[in-house]
Amino acid sequence: MKRLLPLAAATLVASATVSVAHDETALVQSPPGDPYVQVSDVLPLPEFIPGLGTLFVDPATLPAGPFLAYDHDGTLSATIYMTPLEDLQNGTSYDGLGIGSHTVSGVDIYYNAGHPGVEKPHAHVVLFHDDEAKGRLAE
Amino acid sequence: MKSSRRMILTLGGGALATLTMTTRIAAAPSETIEMRGTERGERIWFSPRGLVVAPGATIRFVNRDPGNSHTATTYHPAIFDRLRRIPAGAEPWDSDFLLPGDSFEITLMVPGVYDYYCQPHEMVGMAGRIVVGQPDDPGWEGASTDVEDVMPEVLASLPAVEDILRLGRVDPEVDR
Repeated sequence: MKRLLPLAAATLVASATVSVAHDETALVQSPPGDPYVQVSDVLPLPEFIPGLGTLFVDPATLPAGPFLAYDHDGTLSATIYMTPLEDLQNGTSYDGLGIGSHTVSGVDIYYNAGHPGVEKPHAHVVLFHDDEAKGRLAE
Repeated sequence: MKSSRRMILTLGGGALATLTMTTRIAAAPSETIEMRGTERGERIWFSPRGLVVAPGATIRFVNRDPGNSHTATTYHPAIFDRLRRIPAGAEPWDSDFLLPGDSFEITLMVPGVYDYYCQPHEMVGMAGRIVVGQPDDPGWEGASTDVEDVMPEVLASLPAVEDILRLGRVDPEVDR
């Protein structure tokens, strides 16, 4: 299941915070519980976002996250980070970010022009937790 | 969630004036402006970005972006204290956030140039321009000349009034 991780993703895994990294079972099924809130409950966004799924986040960790992405069956499928490009350029680093699961089958990184919650143009760093996760989150 | 909001802009006046406008609205054509985005949200835009309509036309904004929410918000001191970029006699409007599939309607009566933007996406230039009527219409007010209150990305995305009048509509899906 596991594949070779890109350096950035491997670094994220290695530096995951204790509170998230060592209680994976609590996050496997939606809802993950406190301190996570469902993004669509607090922001004007769809409940299920094509490509990202149903997102939960600890508001204290915004904008970077981790955002926990669940499929239609409520299974944790990806952990997503959202890092504003301007902030990175200005010297902000996002270190020690949590991760929803230590199992990572692939990583996608791409540009997003912004949306409610993270309005600055930013990168989506998506860590998929199994081989079929991307398909389940697609729509 | 599906919803539809409708606001009719008027210059004020009594019941007779309202009745007259209602009649005009019923007869006036309507146009649709879509909020669009790429699958991963790399690019977002109004389609068409520039549009010319007759006074009394109803504009329907529809969010066709499956992964994002958008607004259609006029530049006006009454909304987030922005400098006015709609005719002086026109009422400002704000659609509020529209989720995918949601829509909002507005009827434009006052001739002139209306600039609007999407609240969460203004900084990447998601803005549009509606031209109501023709420059020789009574009460016409042309495009704002201010360049301080809006970001360069917005100014770059707004089509020239002359182009909108010449083409009827300017659509980024076609001209980019």
